[in-house]
Amino acid sequence: MLDKKPNETEGAPECLFSQEHVKIIKENYDDWFNNSLRDADRDTEGKYFTHSGIPIKLIYTPADVEHINYMEDIGFSGHPPYVRGVYPNMYRGRLFTVRQLAGLGAPEDCNERVCYLLDHGATGVSILFDLPTIRGYNSDDPEAEGNVGACGAAVDSIWDIDAYFRDIDLGTVSTSIVTHLPSTSLVIPAMYFTVAQHRGTPWTNVAGTCQNDFIMETCVGSAPEILPPQVSFRMQCDVAEWICKNIPRWNPISYNGYNLREAGTSAVAEVGIAVANAIATAEELIRRGMNIDEFAPRMSFFWDLHNDFFEEIAKCRASRKVWYKITKERFGAQNPKSMLMRYHVQTAGVTLPATEPLNNIARSALQGLAAVMGGCQSLHLDSYDEAYSAPTEEAALVSLRTQQIIQAETGVCNTVDPLAGSYYVEKLTDEMVNRIFDYVQKIEDMGGLVKAVEDGWLHREISSYNLEYQKKIESGEMKIVGVNFQKSLESDVAPIEVFEYPETYTRQKEKLDKLRKERNDQKVKECMDTLRDMCHSEENLYPYCMEAVKNLVTLGEIEELFREEFGLWSFPLV
Amino acid sequence: MQEVFTKMERKIRVVMAKLGLDIHWRGVYLVSQFLKDAGMEVIYLGNKFPEQIVEAAIEEDADVVGLSTLGGNHLTLGPKVVRLLRERGLDNVKVFMGGVMAPKDAVALEKEHGVQKVYLPDTPMQTIIDGITASVDLSASA
Repeated sequence: MLDKKPNETEGAPECLFSQEHVKIIKENYDDWFNNSLRDADRDTEGKYFTHSGIPIKLIYTPADVEHINYMEDIGFSGHPPYVRGVYPNMYRGRLFTVRQLAGLGAPEDCNERVCYLLDHGATGVSILFDLPTIRGYNSDDPEAEGNVGACGAAVDSIWDIDAYFRDIDLGTVSTSIVTHLPSTSLVIPAMYFTVAQHRGTPWTNVAGTCQNDFIMETCVGSAPEILPPQVSFRMQCDVAEWICKNIPRWNPISYNGYNLREAGTSAVAEVGIAVANAIATAEELIRRGMNIDEFAPRMSFFWDLHNDFFEEIAKCRASRKVWYKITKERFGAQNPKSMLMRYHVQTAGVTLPATEPLNNIARSALQGLAAVMGGCQSLHLDSYDEAYSAPTEEAALVSLRTQQIIQAETGVCNTVDPLAGSYYVEKLTDEMVNRIFDYVQKIEDMGGLVKAVEDGWLHREISSYNLEYQKKIESGEMKIVGVNFQKSLESDVAPIEVFEYPETYTRQKEKLDKLRKERNDQKVKECMDTLRDMCHSEENLYPYCMEAVKNLVTLGEIEELFREEFGLWSFPLV
Repeated sequence: MQEVFTKMERKIRVVMAKLGLDIHWRGVYLVSQFLKDAGMEVIYLGNKFPEQIVEAAIEEDADVVGLSTLGGNHLTLGPKVVRLLRERGLDNVKVFMGGVMAPKDAVALEKEHGVQKVYLPDTPMQTIIDGITASVDLSASA
């Protein structure tokens, strides 16, 4: 049935509505526009825009989607072009994974929080790190001062990953390891795989995702020491290549639109840049001799669900179609799994103010609802205390419960892609597809994403977007309830409890001292020497990092070696 | 926004930095731009550690040092910048901070650690501009 195509000999293409019908609708629309509306209403046309700047009409009708051919442009869930979802049964088959981030203090503290969330019905684990770990320093490096165990977990060695996952079966849990950078994705997941090996869990059972995105290293986060874009990109591809060949259920890259959006881009740019990165990676892996179908099924994406409800849903639907067309038409994928854009969603932390923080429960719930309407595979809801600290246990539980309410009480998971056929949503989806492709083309015309980053283009793009956005907030054009709109007089004081990070430095320092005493220095030196040599070869760095972490080389030592061998890049100060 | 000029027609000089390893550059970039638009001389250093920030403040003859952090190091590195400035005899350089932190930490920074003012999320830009302008006596320094 699904292969049936419109019969071209019949003349007009088969669209949602007959041409005759559309003609009548257009005539009636004109009549309605001219006679039913007041002048003031007519004047509003052209003055409403989505968050990404797409004009919004007062009303949408079949005439706005007259060109859409259902089977070709929308189709069924689990079938090309996957607008309606990547699986035929969607949430009736498997609900989206409830994946709340858990990272604070020492790995031992995180283990408690992870077990708490799993005990309360979370179905996946998402682990995040403190800034020294994210940027590749040991807890006792001078650069780490003041940041150890804050905003995430401190991880220095394989011992810490073992502690993080104490009493958790690595063969059954699905873990998202939020290593922002490729350079740390060479190390921290390698620790995880090694721990699995030590515990006797075969790699074929190990499932999860690491972030591994060079845009995170070079554009999204600023830092004192940054590896050059070309180097970071090579590492991203090393991670992808090795994991695809060795850990079959692991997603080695999560193209991170999320943090880019939070740093400052539109919904169109968020998807456009992530897709441009996926294209660059595909080209490099193909150059290395891989086939698109060997790695594309394991590519995953990460979206930010922001305030503009319908645009966000349209973005999710559109992004699946864009990826389908790219893998199929550009790279000639044969395996349907290569064409599925699977993605994790986090709600937009940037939209959660400090003022009247409990309002953020409503904001996150609405953004989460949009994520589910858009067909996400897994979801994290930001907590109401986002603008103060990492979430307290209570705040994290509210987020978890909100997800469960969406799943169990609202009924939105009972049918596939419930907003399909909405004239507005279909029109917006179509418009998003076109705009995302245009954005990708713009990056390609600049010589690809790595070059666009080296030139500072992306930094300028982020900066100018932010400035415009902030001006709208300052002027009140963009309304934020309780902040610049409907402001309460009595809301000066925040009545919420704020999470206190547990003291972490001393505990990490003790473990590092013990580790340095117990490990085999000769082995450590050999691993480091080999890795150093390999930095200047075309070899994949993964096996050498794996060998190093097995021999208790620390994250900070490996990252320092990278900084020495590859040199640093200056973050463009715009 | 009004240009901030004085009798001596000198602009307020502000050295802005991301504190240490914190990666969130959106806020510090925006505040820097709005201060520039308000007529101040803004030198944005990028990510720096306290010693480097103090060196830059001396080098740039700063009236104000602005520190941004959303990464949890505010109570460690913030007071360190103030202390190092005072040790170098820069008693008139005012330190402002902004970012994500518990409100009680902001109070501690202002009351106990010599930070002039901490601006928490949702602060209107004009409040920051006014706060900095009011804190600097341009006629007193050279």
